[in-house]
Amino acid sequence: MTEMPATEMPATRFPKEIAPWDVIELTIPVRTDLVVLARLTAATLASRVGFDVEEIEDLRLAVEELCLSLVRNGDDGRLRLRYTREGDDGIAIACTFEAAPGRGLRELPVDDLSIRILDALVDEHGRSSEGGHKRAWLRKRRSRTVA
Amino acid sequence: MPNDIRPAEATREKFAEFAVTRDAVLRDELVTAHLGLAHQLARRFANRGEPYDDLVQVASMAIVKSVDRFDPGRGVEFSTFATRTVIGELKRHLRDKGWAVRAPRRIQELYLELGHTISTLSQDLGRSPTVAELAKAAGAPEEAVLEALEAGQGYRTSSIDVPDRQEETLASRIGGEDARYAGVDDRSVLAPAVAKLGPREQAILRLRFVDGLTQSDIAARIGVSQMHVSRLLAASLERLREAFAEEE
Repeated sequence: MTEMPATEMPATRFPKEIAPWDVIELTIPVRTDLVVLARLTAATLASRVGFDVEEIEDLRLAVEELCLSLVRNGDDGRLRLRYTREGDDGIAIACTFEAAPGRGLRELPVDDLSIRILDALVDEHGRSSEGGHKRAWLRKRRSRTVA
Repeated sequence: MPNDIRPAEATREKFAEFAVTRDAVLRDELVTAHLGLAHQLARRFANRGEPYDDLVQVASMAIVKSVDRFDPGRGVEFSTFATRTVIGELKRHLRDKGWAVRAPRRIQELYLELGHTISTLSQDLGRSPTVAELAKAAGAPEEAVLEALEAGQGYRTSSIDVPDRQEETLASRIGGEDARYAGVDDRSVLAPAVAKLGPREQAILRLRFVDGLTQSDIAARIGVSQMHVSRLLAASLERLREAFAEEE
């Protein structure tokens, strides 16, 4: 486990093309049985962008890893996910952990394994903090060219 | 000991040497040195209806493949390359075997159909199909396909309408046991632990994880039943796990 330097998510590659319907926001309690919503949302959006089945499976795993990378045993609070469609071939997902009221934010060393897994599954990823909350993000683009 | 303290340069040199010599002893050493990564990744895929030991076997086999196929000249770290390979193998294993037993019947049936459809379309298209293509071929809505694919990967709470969902915090997935593996230097712990096993157990581990033989092949080779090989493997893996635990 090592500390990882904060990495702000770079601005989207298509800032002028993002329409309100290209952004989906989802907030879920920190519970295993609800992470299915984060995965299904990612899979649905990826399907709309034209990801193939393998890429969608990778994205599902990556979203779960993104959520896992922000919390640890005993944490209570909510995960706020923001999915952004980027152009016609990419998706960016940012996940922010908001601790429950009265629960202080604990330092969270970055798990080397999480980094390796995300390296293997997505094109870009990083971590930062936002308003005192822990935040992790990823980007993945479709490999297939649509005719 | 964190993995990043492992002398990466020494590992690179060994892979460079192995690329030239294909030396069997060096191959064993490289495989053994990275079996901890197999355990770590298998742990991430646990609780999806497949026995943990099976996931470890799949992941360990993927490490062997990774060692054999790794090209140190490409400028990618072995751990990155191996992680991709292991995840790919675990995904395939879960897709084939890790059936989400708690998924509703309609989703189970659709997933079984999708398995065939994915294979056929992949061959026809020369690539992995899209969800839209799958839905069209299966005559099912895209939403149902997405849910079936979710269930097919055997996630612990794979479907929104799972009846017996558990009150479990997300973080408990990566709690104590995960840290147990994360803090282990693979070589310093595994190699001595393997050395403490009996000659037959060591041989079986080598045949299974280094040479890639099936349990049945091993059984035929050493003259015992496949069930006995399974028991010996399980016992050996348990002793290796204990070695990990003692290092906490």
